[in-house]
Amino acid sequence: MKKVSFLMFAMIASLLLVMTGCGKDKEVSTTGKESKEEGSDGKTLRIVTDANYAPFEFLEGDKIVGFDVDFIKAVAKEAGYDVKLESVGWDPIFVEIESKRADVAISAITVNDERRQTYDFSVPYFLSTNKILVPEKSDIKSGNELKGKVIAVQTGTTGQEAVEKLIGKNHKDIKKFENNNLAIQELLQGGAAAVVADNTVVEEYVKNNPDQKLKVVEDSKSFNEEFYGLMFPKGSELKSEFDKAVNAIYENGKYAEIYKEWFGTDPDIETLKAQQ
Amino acid sequence: MSFRWDIIFEYAPFLLKGTLLTIGLSVSSILIGTFLGLLIGLGKIIRNKVLAFPFYCYVTVFRGTPLLVQIFLIHFGVVPFFTGETNAVAAGVIALSLNAAAYIAEIFRAGIQSIDKGQTEGSRSLGMTHAQTMIHVVLPQAFKRMIPPLGNEFIVLLKDSSLLCVIAAPELMYWGKAMGSQYFKVWEPYLACAFIYLFLTLILSFVLNRLERRLKTE
Repeated sequence: MKKVSFLMFAMIASLLLVMTGCGKDKEVSTTGKESKEEGSDGKTLRIVTDANYAPFEFLEGDKIVGFDVDFIKAVAKEAGYDVKLESVGWDPIFVEIESKRADVAISAITVNDERRQTYDFSVPYFLSTNKILVPEKSDIKSGNELKGKVIAVQTGTTGQEAVEKLIGKNHKDIKKFENNNLAIQELLQGGAAAVVADNTVVEEYVKNNPDQKLKVVEDSKSFNEEFYGLMFPKGSELKSEFDKAVNAIYENGKYAEIYKEWFGTDPDIETLKAQQ
Repeated sequence: MSFRWDIIFEYAPFLLKGTLLTIGLSVSSILIGTFLGLLIGLGKIIRNKVLAFPFYCYVTVFRGTPLLVQIFLIHFGVVPFFTGETNAVAAGVIALSLNAAAYIAEIFRAGIQSIDKGQTEGSRSLGMTHAQTMIHVVLPQAFKRMIPPLGNEFIVLLKDSSLLCVIAAPELMYWGKAMGSQYFKVWEPYLACAFIYLFLTLILSFVLNRLERRLKTE
């Protein structure tokens, strides 16, 4: 009997230990992932992203950094809000926004008609196009030559859509990965002939990894221009405020400053404004 | 919130294809894993410490590291190292069987060691060799005791095969995720997957129950 009660005690004690341990873990990880900006005394917005998409948003240690991060902070400051940025992963972004648990999403999200049905978008803030990443000695020169080849993409991205438009939806030659890093890894290890993703991502990868012997193939016929927008829950009042703020930082040069810092060139603000 | 049955129907052929691959992956990993597990389990009970050492290491490594990590290492490291290209299905079978083998080895060891020493002594005194004792006396009795824990392990393995979606092995979960990210939905794809997995594990436990009853002696 004594033994049994001791065992019970030990089990309960360890259970409690585990439970408190979990609680602490969670606290640490959330504070680790969020970066709260002090400054203006406006309301704090919960902004979600998928910090796995260099150079737009990625983790440096436990801090989320990138073009999108600097951009949203500048815009929110302009609009008079504080920012609580949280990395939740790509698919969950859409769930968080649809259920209104988050106020804004910024994650290099391309604005398209399908998404417009469920969400509201700000005016475009970035111009992008999908490009093909292939090994240097590959003879793929256009989107059409991808037919019959295995292509790796990030699941749910416009890269996937563009490829599906070319070779067919859910085609067996399309390998869908959680993120572009895994897709590119698949290419490097010989499991795929090409990766299709946003130009900035593939160009940045080639620039940072010259020893991997990859090159970027452009095909503006197969892949259209795309524009990124901030995503809001349908009917959000923030949209008009943020539209104004985005235009304000176009005017005052803040946008160009951030753009130059991350991409080293001047932005094409006229094309972006023409889309409004 | 509206539940969209239409997207489940649209993806039904893919979910079916995924289910078949899930079954294929699980069955082959169960067979390979059990075979390897038996060898490793026997290896672990060798009295010679030096000979048993590699088997200890195997169990320590595969039981002590997360399956997800093993999947990534095998998919992006081990398989391309040998064949020059990645193969998600091959990597999946290898990762699942190697991982399961470590657990199954422990089940075999425990099963064998649970058989009373008198059994071995009795058969040895009848003139059987050590190997004969193992094959004809100890293992048949041990196997019966091992069925419930083995059943657990098989069910865990079947469910763990869903992790293979991260390396784009087109099994059930992979198609569930594809469906979810196309329509930005969570309930439809993941509930559908949950039901299919539940159905598969129910079949598996039914088969194991039958087996257990067949082997019952009393």
